[in-house]
Amino acid sequence: MNYLIYMVLQITVIIVFAPLISGVIRKIKALSQKRKGAPVFQMYYDLHKLFRKTSVVSETSSWIFKAAPYVFFSTAVTAALLVPVSTLIPQPSSLPGDFIVMVSVLALGRFFMMLAGLDTGSTFGGMGSSREALISSLIEPSILVSLFTIALITGSTSLSRILFVVNSSENQLPLQVSILIFLALLVIIIAETARIPVDDPSTHLELTMVHEAMILEYSGRHLALMEYGAAVKQLTLITLLVNILLPFDGMISQTGMMAILLSLLFYAAKVLMAAVLIALIEINCVKLKLFSIPNLAALAFILSFVAFLQFFVLGGNHV
Amino acid sequence: MSDLFDTLSVLILMTAFVLMANKKVKAYIKTFRVQSALIALSAGILGVEAIMDEGRYDLMVVCVLIVVLKVIYIPGLLHKTYAGIEYRTEKDFILNIPILVLISCSLVVFTYFSFSASGFGVNGSVIDLQLVNTISVTMIGLLFMITRKKAIGQIIGFLEVENGIFITAMFSTQGMPFIVDMGIFIDMLTAVMIMGVLVFKINVTFESINTDRLNKLKG
Repeated sequence: MNYLIYMVLQITVIIVFAPLISGVIRKIKALSQKRKGAPVFQMYYDLHKLFRKTSVVSETSSWIFKAAPYVFFSTAVTAALLVPVSTLIPQPSSLPGDFIVMVSVLALGRFFMMLAGLDTGSTFGGMGSSREALISSLIEPSILVSLFTIALITGSTSLSRILFVVNSSENQLPLQVSILIFLALLVIIIAETARIPVDDPSTHLELTMVHEAMILEYSGRHLALMEYGAAVKQLTLITLLVNILLPFDGMISQTGMMAILLSLLFYAAKVLMAAVLIALIEINCVKLKLFSIPNLAALAFILSFVAFLQFFVLGGNHV
Repeated sequence: MSDLFDTLSVLILMTAFVLMANKKVKAYIKTFRVQSALIALSAGILGVEAIMDEGRYDLMVVCVLIVVLKVIYIPGLLHKTYAGIEYRTEKDFILNIPILVLISCSLVVFTYFSFSASGFGVNGSVIDLQLVNTISVTMIGLLFMITRKKAIGQIIGFLEVENGIFITAMFSTQGMPFIVDMGIFIDMLTAVMIMGVLVFKINVTFESINTDRLNKLKG
């Protein structure tokens, strides 16, 4: 029963609201440029339209091209199920999978997306894939180190256990580690969701695109799955960020349905704050040169590694 | 309170890393400004504590001086000096930036271990995180100085080293004697002004401020 409630809530919250977050970010960007912008629900309309259209598939492509959207979407959903949106939802006692599974499942989806980019043999696809391989290999160490730091502090690699410990009053993350890991995860989210300092989500200029270049050949249902998958992945990573580093669930004194509702409201507010923050970063930054991305990635790695150092090399003053 | 200072020292360390990962002159000056503002904030908090506990006002004066000199005056001076110079971005490094950032990281590790070996800054078996972080800022500033070839990078590196030493002294002694602080400020101000004038002169005379070219003057 617990399993069912957890799955249903998780799926409704993340999968239903994922396109909305993209819409909010786009709306804020548009407002900052004194445009009215598309409505925040635009992505739902787009997805609805795309799902009804047939996809055009190149004759030279293999089964990978057709399989990749399904693999990408299902890996994003799998990752989303591993990150609880609220600790007050009754957790299944043995939820399989931890953040290592989450990172590798996301990597599997990315791998298939890169293969699909190469599969049709178009020049843009290959270029996008090679760039994505560069960026993801640079970013992955920092996501693992920052999550391992939290896992060492909380004593578990399971995400639901981590969130439970963080949200209870017994073991708060120390302030400086929170700040460092917050900044590191912010850079990671920006790089993973193809946002501005790393990649521009709203361009089809051949020399700057990374994510768009890989999905350039897709149309119809396949394109919808790719975009929906990217939105789900984005909301999953944002959930990870806000639920680990802005824990509010411990303050809720109610019990039962009321508590879950309240914590979901808090969750919505936190996600909205993160979306505004990401939009502000996008507004205020220029896109980096491809060869400057390693500098940003090195900085993200250092942020998480210094957080790690603060506590575990010499057993800092809290442990 | 110690948690707050730990956080501030970590943020100061982070600005040192951000400086290391940058190569635009504007970003250098902006990051230096942020670093100085963080130091002023730490001095301000220590100053309020000193007023409440002992009725000393010197740390507050130091805080105001940091804001006036390091947050407003020196970055402004650097901006003015570099407005007339044609390059905006550092182009040639001794090593590339990711490697430099990783070396800076190993400097932090080195500082941690040298602290634990020497016993300096160790209470019980707990290492003073603030001191480790601020001394790492000094080390990273030195690395910054030797890896930048242009004079602006070297000036920023010098200022970063100075910031590191200053904040180390402040965290370890809860406020140095006022006269020492004043001496440091005046030294630094003179140094920056002389460097600014010299850089300007070098640029006018040689049309470049790449310090490597000065080696050609040797007989």
